[in-house]
Amino acid sequence: MLSADERRDLAREISRLANASVAQMLANPPPPPARIARRIGFTGPPGVGKSTLVGTLVDRRAARGTHIAVLAIDPASPYSKGAILGDRIRMDRASDSPNVFMRSVSSRDAQDGMCNNVADILSTLEARGFDELVLETVGVGQAEHAVKALVDTVVLLMQPETGDAIQALKAGILEVADIIVVAKSDLPGAGRMQQQLASTVHFGAQRAAAWTTPVLCVSVETGAGLDELEQALADHAQWAAAHREPGEVRRSRARYRVQDLVTRQLEQALAALNPAECELPLAELYAATIEKLRPA
Amino acid sequence: MSLAGKRILIAKPGLDGHDVGAKIIALALRDAGAEVIYTGLRKSPDHIARVAVEEDVDAVGLSILSGSHVDLVRETARCLREAKADDVKLFVGGTIPHEDNPALVEAGAAGIFNASQRIDEVLSEMARVLDAG
Repeated sequence: MLSADERRDLAREISRLANASVAQMLANPPPPPARIARRIGFTGPPGVGKSTLVGTLVDRRAARGTHIAVLAIDPASPYSKGAILGDRIRMDRASDSPNVFMRSVSSRDAQDGMCNNVADILSTLEARGFDELVLETVGVGQAEHAVKALVDTVVLLMQPETGDAIQALKAGILEVADIIVVAKSDLPGAGRMQQQLASTVHFGAQRAAAWTTPVLCVSVETGAGLDELEQALADHAQWAAAHREPGEVRRSRARYRVQDLVTRQLEQALAALNPAECELPLAELYAATIEKLRPA
Repeated sequence: MSLAGKRILIAKPGLDGHDVGAKIIALALRDAGAEVIYTGLRKSPDHIARVAVEEDVDAVGLSILSGSHVDLVRETARCLREAKADDVKLFVGGTIPHEDNPALVEAGAAGIFNASQRIDEVLSEMARVLDAG
């Protein structure tokens, strides 16, 4: 359990990381954490019920003595760069538990739905001794892949009756999910949605040792499916411990960590190309861009 | 003077159930470039102080229409001190008679706003207080 001073310090450290430039991160990167936490990611379209489900799950797990840190990322306004970070409204009970630390961050300029230096924010939370980290992000294409690189278990939320089964196929996001939840399953259409999704994700997933993605109907309103979801989380942790190579997990997180920095640097490099450079033949334009990638 | 990049918690303490004003201020702050956290209705000063700490905000804005603004401001200021967050600026807005201003300042309010003020005045006063540090 964190003291008042530790809570304040951790909150300030997260602000420092969320605001750190590429050059600052390179000059002063947080050390790799000595311990690792179970990491669970929740993603899905806006309004599907991520915060409500996360709040309920975290409340249950914290009540059993699990120490949990929640990082909830919300999009920034593309016009003012400001943001309304509203995830906490749905996580009230959980956020009052002494076993919980909860932080909302804006995605600011990040194109993949994450926030700047998210990998280092997660490992900083990890270093403070939490048993579990929960990452909540709005699902927008690339976000699911970023979540995959950063957490152990990806939970994808879908809504009944939205034609989402086909949308999900188009976007190719089903493959990233370790657990699929049909949320608000007290609404009509949940059973059919579950069947459609199950037949899609289970098609062809017959390789030995492969994880079979469960598709669960969950209603926070009625409590239906919450126990099954917790069981699926436990099963997936067990499966991952047996079948995932820790070195590969570390390497994919290292790749995402550096990708975050390079992507930001690249945006600056592109913005810094002058009119004459933009008229150059492709190979020279490419070389000029790469040249500008070096942090000042 | 700018609110861009500032983190501000908009909170509704006490028992009144009207948050149109709080939401309008939240949207105006967002449009001024701030990152706004909103608590929802009927939160205790203790809860508000904890959120202020975890979210590492620069300011807390309390929206109060119940009449108990002096007590709620004093109690929230006390909870912020207890949570080691006395550097967080405390603003209060709502249905607040002018004669209560001295008591509110004494209770810990760094800015006091009422419904007759224009939103841009409110924002520029908040920016001024935050810039003064």
